[in-house]
Amino acid sequence: MTTPYYIPETNVPLPPKDADVITTACDYCIVACGYKVYRWPVAGNHDGGPEADNNAFDEDFPVAPLGSWVAPNQHNIVMHDGNPHHVVIIPDKDTEAVNTNGDSSLRGGCIAQKCYNPQTPTRDRLSTPLMRMWGILQPVSWDFALDVAAEVANHVRRKHGANAYGVKTFSYQYIENTYAISKYALRHINTANFTFHDTPSDVSSTPGFRDAGFDNFGPSYEDWMNAETLLVCGTDPYETKTILFTQWMMPGIQNGQKCIMMNPRRTAGVAYAEANGGLWLDVNLGTDLLVVNAIARVIAENGWQDAEWIKKWVNNKWGSNSGFGQGTRNTPWQWRTTWGKFQTDGYDDWAKWLLAQDEFTPENAAKVAGIDVQKIYTAAEWMAKPGADGTRPKTSIMIEKGFYWSNNTGNTMAISALAIQVGAGGRPGQVVGRAGGHQRGGVRGGKYPRNKSPMKVPGRRRRALDTDTWTMSGHTRMAHVIGTTWIQSMCGSQQLARRFEELTVQNPNQVMSFDKQEIIDTLKARADSGGMVVINQDIYLVDPIGNRYADIIFPAATWGEDTFMRANGERRLRVYNKFYDAPGEAKPDWWIIAQLAKKMGFDGFDWENSNDVAEESARFSRGSRKDFNMIKMAAIREGKTLHAKLGEFGTNGIQGPVFMDDDGSLRGTKRLHDTTLSLSETGPTGSNMFNKKLTHFNSQTGRCNIEKSPWSLFSDYWEWMSPKDDELWCTSGRTNERWQSGFDDRRRPYIVQRWPDNYIEIHPDDAAARGIESGDLLMAYSDRVPSLKETTLGIEGDDYSFTGQMRNDNVELSKAAVTGVAMVTRHIKKGIIYMDFLHTSQPANALEGRIVDWISGNYNYKIGVARLKKIGESPHKHSFRSMSFAPRDII
Amino acid sequence: MTHEINSSDTASRGPGTKCGLSRRKFLLTSGTATATVMVSMNHAGADSHMPATVATYPRKKIATLSSLQTDVPVEFDYPDEGEYSSSVLVKLGTEAGGGLGPDKDVVAFNHFCTHQGGDLSGSYKGETKSLGACPLHLSTYDLTRHGILISGQAYQSLPQVLLELDGDDIYAVGIFGLIFGRHDNLQG
Repeated sequence: MTTPYYIPETNVPLPPKDADVITTACDYCIVACGYKVYRWPVAGNHDGGPEADNNAFDEDFPVAPLGSWVAPNQHNIVMHDGNPHHVVIIPDKDTEAVNTNGDSSLRGGCIAQKCYNPQTPTRDRLSTPLMRMWGILQPVSWDFALDVAAEVANHVRRKHGANAYGVKTFSYQYIENTYAISKYALRHINTANFTFHDTPSDVSSTPGFRDAGFDNFGPSYEDWMNAETLLVCGTDPYETKTILFTQWMMPGIQNGQKCIMMNPRRTAGVAYAEANGGLWLDVNLGTDLLVVNAIARVIAENGWQDAEWIKKWVNNKWGSNSGFGQGTRNTPWQWRTTWGKFQTDGYDDWAKWLLAQDEFTPENAAKVAGIDVQKIYTAAEWMAKPGADGTRPKTSIMIEKGFYWSNNTGNTMAISALAIQVGAGGRPGQVVGRAGGHQRGGVRGGKYPRNKSPMKVPGRRRRALDTDTWTMSGHTRMAHVIGTTWIQSMCGSQQLARRFEELTVQNPNQVMSFDKQEIIDTLKARADSGGMVVINQDIYLVDPIGNRYADIIFPAATWGEDTFMRANGERRLRVYNKFYDAPGEAKPDWWIIAQLAKKMGFDGFDWENSNDVAEESARFSRGSRKDFNMIKMAAIREGKTLHAKLGEFGTNGIQGPVFMDDDGSLRGTKRLHDTTLSLSETGPTGSNMFNKKLTHFNSQTGRCNIEKSPWSLFSDYWEWMSPKDDELWCTSGRTNERWQSGFDDRRRPYIVQRWPDNYIEIHPDDAAARGIESGDLLMAYSDRVPSLKETTLGIEGDDYSFTGQMRNDNVELSKAAVTGVAMVTRHIKKGIIYMDFLHTSQPANALEGRIVDWISGNYNYKIGVARLKKIGESPHKHSFRSMSFAPRDII
Repeated sequence: MTHEINSSDTASRGPGTKCGLSRRKFLLTSGTATATVMVSMNHAGADSHMPATVATYPRKKIATLSSLQTDVPVEFDYPDEGEYSSSVLVKLGTEAGGGLGPDKDVVAFNHFCTHQGGDLSGSYKGETKSLGACPLHLSTYDLTRHGILISGQAYQSLPQVLLELDGDDIYAVGIFGLIFGRHDNLQG
């Protein structure tokens, strides 16, 4: 941890000519910019000089704008092969992909600060396994920690069943690690009590995309630039995936792209779009579906739909009803529609339904969403109105969490239909997809055992187990938590924390022994008594899952400390090379899992290094959007390792799925669902595999399903949740300068100076009504945070709605409070407050309802309510040292 | 390597220290009058064995207090006339960190974005007391708070020029933070 007392440096060492140069990509956001690490020994005073012939950049200092400048935050000192080395880490000025010309965000730009250096605030990295004895986490050996964990784990799964062993893990922190973890959890433990960092259940994030047939990450970054009209829903990419905006969208906007931003917060990207002829759809929380359908209605009424595209690429009645050869009504899409709420007979049937819903008139949608109705007509015109010569605008649609975590099923259904209507998806510059949050590093080493989940959706299908309600109900006897805060990342965080407390530290079975067997017996007794044993695997000690609730801590190695692979938001695969030593005994997650699995008696974990894991995982990527199996085949053919072969592509990487031509060269895939792409008429050769989604859509027929998106499936929750009396809508999201929980940023003095505490953005009118000024310390609180007592309970279809759950007494209301520093600002819409989504000590999710979307199983994290109370003044109100209360929309 | 002589623990001992406030103390107290001297030692190339060079921030008169109008920026060069020396002096009309004068509202900053070197001249906005948005990637800076990043991609605050008041004369006497493009503020 660091304080905000940041003292800037006024000089920086430069890498000498003979510095080692290692390529990597940024560890943080979905974009994954290419970076170069320059490394040279500290010993020998061997720094480079400011003349081009005396530094590794071949540049004279001062360098030109956009040149190889090194900010002091881009330098660090690390251990390499046991000796101290300088590292300078700057965006790769030579890269031809992603961050072309070496652009970077603040997050990645300062990634050198991530590296472990005991002289910096990274000094509290976990460097040895820990075990809680007499209430204190004490260093133990790997063997000791693993022996205890393995014995207790085997006991729990044998005595209480596989579902008693919960695995809550990151989904993205490198292919080698996710493969090892999911192989262990799903194939070997075979537990349904498994999910990822951002969802209570292992379910699709975008059910509407899934059903329509759209891959989340089909587009290429150039498509976002080449669209003539771009609708961006629920994100400002400038704030959250910077280089996607600055390198791709900004040139598009400068070239005349009409950019429509649907978002209640007017940050720099929104302001830039508006200033350059774009449009801001400043919707109230949770009303996106109404606005999207109102736009679609205007298009339908005017006959501006892309009729030719629809005729060719949208399922008619026959297509809608066909299955995968397993009989009708047995595809994931169709079982969600068992009760007939979504399915249509094609475009005309959908349009008829759309026009019959009074809530979708532009006037009503604008009123509920709190926007100027003219904006709906303008958006419809920009997206679909053909020009005088009949040419259609090339329209694309981008969505992200502000949108799909407000009304998960409804919003993603509605936007998919709008995309289909305007011909987005399937052609260059005419695409639909997610912008993305974290990078894409998941490869599954096992299949999720859905049939072992006791939870069901209406009808007969089982739903992935909701690990939060399962744990709240006391069924998780051992929780293995990997690289996530779990608690603060989920809704109703404070109720979750209370239950964790009861199940762990308040259980009478606490370790008070030095004897291994006695420790094991105590933890077994904890599990048998209805309590819970917690293993936490992470790079830092996390509060509270690690430092308060965990019995065993496994220290993990991370970015730069082992060689890994991962893909970005356009499926671009790169090698992230190791360039320094992990702290102490910290080990990569794949290694930790392998040792634990071996001690538990599982086979198939005899990996020597991360490349072994990557090579084993390759065949499990076949057919996926980041299929890299053919890179392995090329490596075998050339006598290289997979890491070495992919490494040859440097920071440019290669876009998945990857294919091998007959001459052995590798070819990437620019976009998925590319209807303009011609594949070999004779089919794939060798081990190549052509998936349908290369040239068609991900549906039962390869054509899109256009589906209804009824407001009524969500409106009861929205109305119940809507602010009452002096409540305000309360939402949260990322801030440009902080990544995820701030696990690195809390250890960067400059970022802590900028954001020492969580903040609460509030509109000047709302602030004035409450006597609040910027810098005041506020309590945001609620006495009606709803949460499900048990999994969604019901027999008939309408039991499953929020109203049905209330009727069946399955909803508990509780209190929550989070403090934050007031930021009175014009850039937030009136009636809404906005916080950073994952400050671990001030978690905004505490105020969000722990009610899963009853159709998809995801949380709607972005729609809560809160009252505000001033409880004093923060130190930042009158000091000039840290924070800034200036608005984020200055252009 | 360049060593800061008058850091807080050596402020009273460092050669050439002109006053009691160090860079560290300046930031911690938002002090208004200070001077800083840097002593830079061998920063030459790998193979050279030059003796230590001593570089010192010049004391340069840049304006008079009485001539400043609120929200009207004045440009000047500092610490030299070389590349990226262009800086801006402005009377904000509101108290600011490091602010000079009776109202503690006169501040000065280097003019180049500490992200990728975009030129911020002409981007001062009185309404928000800010510089930017940078024409390259939209970074903005809060001049009331030591040039901290408001929104954007810069790797650090905008370098703040230390000011000193002598009668009505305003002197530039040092800089906090590395100027874009340079590897050392005083060596280019």
